[in-house]
Amino acid sequence: MIKFENVGVVYPGGVKALDNINLEINEGDFVIIVGLSGAGKSTLLRSINNLVKPTDGNVFVDGKNVTNASKKELKQIRSDIGMIFQTFNLVNRSNVLKNVLTGRLSQVSTIRSITGLWPKEDKQIAFESLERVEILEKAYVRGSNLSGGQQQRVGIARALAQKPTVMLADEPVASLDPVTSRVVMSYLKKINQELGITTIVNLHFLDLAKEFGTRLIGLREGNLVYDGSVDDVSDADFENIYGRSIKSSDLIGEDD
Amino acid sequence: MINLPKKPPPSLMVFAGIPTAVLFSYYCFFKVGFNLTDFKENLENRYLVTDPLFNPKWSWAIENASEALVETIQIAILASVVGCFVALPLSFYASQTTNQNKISYFLYKSFLNLVRTIPDLFWAMMFTVAVGLGPFAGVLALVMFSLAIMGKLLSETIDSIDPGPLEAAKSSGASHNQSVFTSALPQVLPNFTAYFLYIFELCIRASVILGLVGAGGVGRIIETQRIFLRFDRISPIIVLILLVVILIEQFSVWLRRRIL
Amino acid sequence: MPKQPVQQRILKYTITALIVIGSIWSASGLEITLEKILKAPEQIAILVGAMFPLDLSSEAIERILPKVAESLFIAWAGTVIGAVFSFPISFLAANNVAANYISETTKQILNGIRAFPELILAFVFLPITGLGALTGTLAIGIHSIGTLGKLSSEVIEGIDEGPLEAIKSSGGSKINELLFGVVPQVMPTITSYWLYRFEINLRASAVLGVVGAGGVGAELINQLRFRDFPRAGTVLVATVVLVLTVDTISAAIRRRIIKGRSIKV
Repeated sequence: MIKFENVGVVYPGGVKALDNINLEINEGDFVIIVGLSGAGKSTLLRSINNLVKPTDGNVFVDGKNVTNASKKELKQIRSDIGMIFQTFNLVNRSNVLKNVLTGRLSQVSTIRSITGLWPKEDKQIAFESLERVEILEKAYVRGSNLSGGQQQRVGIARALAQKPTVMLADEPVASLDPVTSRVVMSYLKKINQELGITTIVNLHFLDLAKEFGTRLIGLREGNLVYDGSVDDVSDADFENIYGRSIKSSDLIGEDD
Repeated sequence: MINLPKKPPPSLMVFAGIPTAVLFSYYCFFKVGFNLTDFKENLENRYLVTDPLFNPKWSWAIENASEALVETIQIAILASVVGCFVALPLSFYASQTTNQNKISYFLYKSFLNLVRTIPDLFWAMMFTVAVGLGPFAGVLALVMFSLAIMGKLLSETIDSIDPGPLEAAKSSGASHNQSVFTSALPQVLPNFTAYFLYIFELCIRASVILGLVGAGGVGRIIETQRIFLRFDRISPIIVLILLVVILIEQFSVWLRRRIL
Repeated sequence: MPKQPVQQRILKYTITALIVIGSIWSASGLEITLEKILKAPEQIAILVGAMFPLDLSSEAIERILPKVAESLFIAWAGTVIGAVFSFPISFLAANNVAANYISETTKQILNGIRAFPELILAFVFLPITGLGALTGTLAIGIHSIGTLGKLSSEVIEGIDEGPLEAIKSSGGSKINELLFGVVPQVMPTITSYWLYRFEINLRASAVLGVVGAGGVGAELINQLRFRDFPRAGTVLVATVVLVLTVDTISAAIRRRIIKGRSIKV
């Protein structure tokens, strides 16, 4: 489903973020990527929808070459990939419904979107997505009036509204407390299981990774150092990925 | 079928406000005499202005306008200094943080608001009648101008300062004025300086125009030349003023960096 | 006892000296004597006294009210011109929306326009569009494009880019990013700037009448010249009332725009 072929990313300034990554992710996988900050997790994720363009190699999604896609093809590919972010990235002054509808932008003509005359089907899709994360009743509430956890659920709804085949989550729970984090992660897991969406999540909390993941990928300084089932992972493996022994800040823990 | 939440009614402001604004705009453009065909015709006359405008007569300007330019700057300096420093104590009375007396606060605040509503040139006109033509009237007018702006800016700043040090001073037995002087004033001094520089710049721009009503400065010359369409003499004057304004802007940026 | 760092003290003293010397030089250059200063309050009081009782005859009101209204129309129309044109231009001037060389050039152009006070612009337009309200509107309109353009571009440059990234990652176009990411973020602040500009333009339009560009200024200067002080007083009071009303309404609307509507769920 998603294939990395000799992918390397060197940022201007010489920083090598990814080094010769070869990876295959199957349809319906729930993959969790762990690693230190700066290990390349975010870069890896963003090279899947070409928000970051690899300097070497190619990324394929569903057989299509993302790295060298034309502008038009890229938009098409991106519309099938949903993404949620650590900082939620909602438009704070707009209400929840408007935020979710922005997920349908690639499918709707510009005129319709500007005037607010969204086609009924698109509105329906937006409502269903909100219902799936159980936040439909807040549809007309302004984004900034929601808690962090609620905002992230809206983010998930927005991504779902795209009817994606792939879901990317870049540190989705880093700003949330333990209880809310587990809620968000369980939504992601549920969506993966019920809708079969290939899901890739960046996390830096090891216990969460073990709790929710099925497949674990470890990155260290841009290199792939672990790829296997979550059940097979040992503390020693984690220490290898992190290059040091595990600290308490690597665990989200229970709620206080 | 899922239970859709109720859509809130459209905001009154948007629903009624925007159409009203659009209609009002049409009305205003009509009343103002905006007519595209006439406008196009008028534009053909632009050479009356643009030809001399882009042909500045520097020597004439320097010979005949230098004195007036200096006068313009002097008016600005004096007016901004006096206006701002008079506004300093007034601002404290116009802020609830430092003036707990509701009546007195209301009076001072209303006074400042009132002074703000009268445009600078109106002040100039009145002062020329009261104290006679000439730069004195101009200075008085811009004093009111500076006072009004500094009053508003500074009193709003005082509204948002930390009342803690003020309370501490009062609880130690200091008189009201002492507390304000030692605990509130230092907090707003950097703002005061920044506002002062800003107002000084505004005063220079404003004092260019004072001469139009006989309140001194280079405006008088601009007015006489304008009537004869001598834009070739006006443009160098304007450019000189702009240069002064830019110099002051650079100086204030430099100064602000040193102070803050 | 520790002393303030020498450099800071020198700076403070120099500035104080500059201010004092500057003021003295100015005062003497302008021949402002103590005598003049002391006489002034009395002279002002005489003028104010002469204005009351105000001339509220129907003749006066018939003359003055239309002019006051004209100032309002000029200010509004000028602000509309400023808002409508400055909005797209501000995107061009924002370095996070437009390429650097475009935004830099646009910013310089806006600075150039801003530099000229409305009155000077009115001068330039007078020979072209003649005496009357249109000239005033154009002068105010064009000056407003300059100031609003700069302020709006600064708002645009200060937005959160996160939502833009979200739109891009879902396959949205650059236009989508602008319309759904930038515009919702900047509209409240920019609209409040438009209203504030309207308040300022109202004062400017009152003044423009002095050079015949429409509005109440011409009335005032005429009344003063003819020594008709009660009528001049009426003009002043009418202006103050108009400006106060507009200021209050505008401030209330601006507060509401920034605060936004709260929905209870």
